[in-house]
Amino acid sequence: MSVRLNQLRPVYVVGVGFHRYQFLSDTTYVELGLTAVRAALADAGLAWPVVESAYVAKALLPMAPGRPMLRHLGATGLPIVHVENASASGSAAFRHACIEVAAGVSDISLVVGVDKPMPVGRAEALARIGGLADDAIAPFTHFALLADAYASRTGATLEDIALVAVKNHRNGSKNPFAQHQKERSLEEILNGKKIAGAFTSLQCTPIGEGAAALIVASEEGLRRQGLGLDRAVRVAASAGRSQRVYEDATRYDAMLTQETAAVALAEAGVSPGALDVVELHDAFTVEEVEYVEAMGLCPEGEAVPRLKEGEFDIGGRCAISPSGGLISMGHPIGPTGVGQIGEITRQLRGEAGDRQQPGARLGLAHMVGVGAVCYVHVLQTV
Amino acid sequence: MDQASLLKPALYRVEGSAAVPGRPALFGGECACGYVFFPLQPYGCERCGGLEFKDKALSGAGTLLASARVYLHAGKGREAPFTVGAIALDDGPIVRTLIEEDSGDPRPGDRMATTLVEVTDTEGASRLDLRFTPETGA
Repeated sequence: MSVRLNQLRPVYVVGVGFHRYQFLSDTTYVELGLTAVRAALADAGLAWPVVESAYVAKALLPMAPGRPMLRHLGATGLPIVHVENASASGSAAFRHACIEVAAGVSDISLVVGVDKPMPVGRAEALARIGGLADDAIAPFTHFALLADAYASRTGATLEDIALVAVKNHRNGSKNPFAQHQKERSLEEILNGKKIAGAFTSLQCTPIGEGAAALIVASEEGLRRQGLGLDRAVRVAASAGRSQRVYEDATRYDAMLTQETAAVALAEAGVSPGALDVVELHDAFTVEEVEYVEAMGLCPEGEAVPRLKEGEFDIGGRCAISPSGGLISMGHPIGPTGVGQIGEITRQLRGEAGDRQQPGARLGLAHMVGVGAVCYVHVLQTV
Repeated sequence: MDQASLLKPALYRVEGSAAVPGRPALFGGECACGYVFFPLQPYGCERCGGLEFKDKALSGAGTLLASARVYLHAGKGREAPFTVGAIALDDGPIVRTLIEEDSGDPRPGDRMATTLVEVTDTEGASRLDLRFTPETGA
């Protein structure tokens, strides 16, 4: 019989580290990744040799970037695996590191996401199932179509949906690791460069590079290193799913999000209304309004009024994307899902500084990746 | 106008379906489980995993679900701006493709139909490609 993650021994996030997400630079991926890993080890108070396995998330870098990076910490001989799962690479790597520690195969594992922008193809294009005009529908156009449908379904205006970007740029302006660190007015956002449909450039995630790292551990492993659970955050649930056949095939992101979030929340034994802080896949503004409804944070069609009332602000009922989200913090792909867990961990520790959601005790991280796949993790204070 | 003049002859044809004879039909499939899909593929049914499906000519008529004007396009061989739409075909599948340029500003809920427009292929030859346009249009 299968078991859920939280029926196994508890797994904790005990270390968080980042290299700032930024526009393409001369910095090597090795330096990006090592910066994040060293910061995560220092945050955990653990030395590299006690790490028993490494999960390296990347979607854009070529084959096998892990050991050429990690050897500079000392080549301890630990097992290294690479995880590619499109935008959800980092979330998938985190899930599997948690499963390894929960199962007792390892006590202390590293998850690191690192990527740099580079040309990449999609395997789906090799299936030789041509579409009518696939080349004309970039991701921003896919979501621009969903924004048009959302507006016509709910009566929200396209200006309303852009308020997501106002909030997330405001949050990102307080995040030293965010790619965009500037507050933006609604007018600035609406008057930006036009991309597709209602979207202007500041309503779309930027292309960039960066790294994020986490140390996950069992209590036993921590005790052996003379550490306790003082700053540890418990992984309360992990869910991963992939797209099924839906009645409205174009809304697969939201349908898949609904299913995956429901599995994770049920595993954690909590209702969506109990969440204090959420990081979600807001690569484009419309995604946030779609996903808060899909997750049950508010009823269908209510996201815009709730957003306007400040319910999703830091200090509101549930802070959505306090890091700035993909729109402002950025989306370097491999690191993104790892960084979401890092932000939730900092929030639940009360270490998020100017971005702190007061009294945060329960958090959720959500990613979708092309394919489509979806991951949802629930974290809670110990 | 014959099949050889089409840009993507595996996806659509000049001739209409029995239900909508006046509009180019699309080549879809229908599985023994009842699932109707587009485009046709040989690998297996996405709903049931079965391999027992047959060709089905899908009528070139449907309802617009959404549209978006695209201002930025990186790929070669296509100049922005252009408009794409999501159309729920009367036969079931939802397709996303280009809206014919002289279509005005169709809104979700509007009736749409297929039409063939002249385009230039990668070798510079003139071909016909499928577009959607408001049903009352061209």
